[in-house]
Amino acid sequence: MRFVFFHLMPYPYLPDDFDEYPSISLTFPNKHFDRDLGTKLYHRYLDELEHAEVAGFDGLAVNEHHQSAYGLMPSPNIMAAALSRRTERARIMVLGNAIGIRGNPLRVAEEIAMLDHLTDGRLTSGFVRGIGWEYFAHSINPTRSRARFNEAHDLIIKAWTSDEMFQWIGDNYEYRYVNLWPRPLQQPHPPIYIPGAGSSETFRFVAEHGYTFMSVYTPVRVIKRWFDSFREISAEAGNPADPSAPGTMQHLALNVSGLDELLAIRDRIRDRGINVFGPLDHGLCHSIYFAGPENLALEVATSEQPIDARAWIDPEVVGLLGIDDEQLQAFKEPESFEGRGGTVPNPPIDWSKPQLNMPRELLEGVMSMPDEQVTAMLSEPIPPVAVEPQDTAS
Amino acid sequence: VSDTKETTERYLELPGGRVHVLGGGTGEPVLFLHAAGGSGRWLEFHERLAEDFEVIAPDHPGFGGTDEFPEVEAMDDLVYHYLDVIDALGLDRPHVVGASFGGWIAAELAVAAPDKIGSLVLLGAAGLRLPEHPVTDLFILKPPQLAEALFHDPANVAAFLSVEPDIEAVLAAYRESTALARFGWAPFLANPKLERRLRRITAPAQVVWAAEDRLIPIAHGHRYAEKIPGARFTAVANCGHAMYQERPDEFAQITTDFLAGVRR
Repeated sequence: MRFVFFHLMPYPYLPDDFDEYPSISLTFPNKHFDRDLGTKLYHRYLDELEHAEVAGFDGLAVNEHHQSAYGLMPSPNIMAAALSRRTERARIMVLGNAIGIRGNPLRVAEEIAMLDHLTDGRLTSGFVRGIGWEYFAHSINPTRSRARFNEAHDLIIKAWTSDEMFQWIGDNYEYRYVNLWPRPLQQPHPPIYIPGAGSSETFRFVAEHGYTFMSVYTPVRVIKRWFDSFREISAEAGNPADPSAPGTMQHLALNVSGLDELLAIRDRIRDRGINVFGPLDHGLCHSIYFAGPENLALEVATSEQPIDARAWIDPEVVGLLGIDDEQLQAFKEPESFEGRGGTVPNPPIDWSKPQLNMPRELLEGVMSMPDEQVTAMLSEPIPPVAVEPQDTAS
Repeated sequence: VSDTKETTERYLELPGGRVHVLGGGTGEPVLFLHAAGGSGRWLEFHERLAEDFEVIAPDHPGFGGTDEFPEVEAMDDLVYHYLDVIDALGLDRPHVVGASFGGWIAAELAVAAPDKIGSLVLLGAAGLRLPEHPVTDLFILKPPQLAEALFHDPANVAAFLSVEPDIEAVLAAYRESTALARFGWAPFLANPKLERRLRRITAPAQVVWAAEDRLIPIAHGHRYAEKIPGARFTAVANCGHAMYQERPDEFAQITTDFLAGVRR
């Protein structure tokens, strides 16, 4: 668990009748901004962010809003720059730049690259689409928001990672020369967070790119709905390299028959140019580790002796995971199950359960058809090459 | 849509999609270009025009029953779109009557292809950029504010607000708002170059404005009339921007009187 101190930098000195205005943003008269109080506020808020590091926070976060008493950071990058040389340990998190609203997304790529150096690689780069009023504030057509965001993102990532100068010609942006100086310090680029407000398009974008989705200032039940939806879409998008849950590693372990075979497999994988480490002696087994396609973590393991559950189930972990005695007993000795001759039908599709990574319509079709029909429609028993039966006797 | 026996509904097939077209009446053809909120509607105003003319009322791309036409991204594309529509309908120099957003299209069409239209009637047309007479930002208006901006008669405001839109109507309004933003987000409902091009219009022109227009100030009407060679100008008293809904008789009468006098 990591803790982030997220500052919104609001302007709190509102007139008593502030809620009689239609909004605190866009049209709220800027005559209510007191210049001297404003100066003091910026210094106070930056002091608070700096103190958050002293207090032990892992991250210091800032964000972007325009023409609003709600937040005084039209440019979060300026606040991040102010923090960069006054802090040493905490991550500086820009959550984030509203890249679709900026007329020139290359400027964002440049500023974040600079900040990455100023923070010695402590920078986290968030990208946001922005709230409705920002589009009025900067006169950007909101109906082009998604397209601009996606294109600005693609451009920024390419600008950060390309070793060659390139030209960019898109529907929204055109550059004849993209050749970023400086390049960012972190490789391939600073980690990317995507703050969002529940839209499935954003979930899909985050899942497909393997970024971190985040949300703030939302009731827990809404957050739960969003994250349920995010998990569903992530599963469809397929992200085996991602943690299945915060702090855990999602990986697949394959059993082999002994240490000799384990080492033979290691030779074989290394021979194909793939890095492998191990074996590690876990007591209950020996294991080697490597990455499979799409960086899925893979383990090959072997046990000399059958694993003694009494010795190897850690009561501390059982307690942490909240597994009760009854559940634990079921894990140790699963209840035996008699088949019913293959007569159990498919349950209705429940997206909270694990599902195969297939297009949704196809999955729904296959899982709702009678088994005989699936077998008849999808079986392919004929081999691709027609051959005479082999005489196994000779 | 009225169920008058005179009204016909059809779809025009163009390379980019289908155009929904309402029509009625016989006589010289009048191409009617609707306002941003006026797609797919055959109102008393149309009925009155159809007593003397063949009225042809297509929905704009992204509006009403017409397809999206995503390649129609801006006003210049929309002008080409309507040149296609005129050709596809086989119209020979039709009268072009445009209201509000449709009036802007009509003015652009008359500038770009003066020989393609028989005459031009602008009803409270958008399209000019007069910084000293700003057009109300209808993208940010909530329904009560929009009603206040559209209608002069408080009874019409109340009537507009008395009907709770169903989900289909909300979605349709969202779609049309999105389509309107293509052409009018920025510059806001205007082509800054239009004013200096108005001198190119050769068709006889009539400009009609609601005297109490709170959406597009009447100064825009005066400017149109001043810059379009030979244009006539008429103001209708006690009327808001939703002119052909609020005072259909007057607007229809002024339009038909003018069109009847045009020698094609």
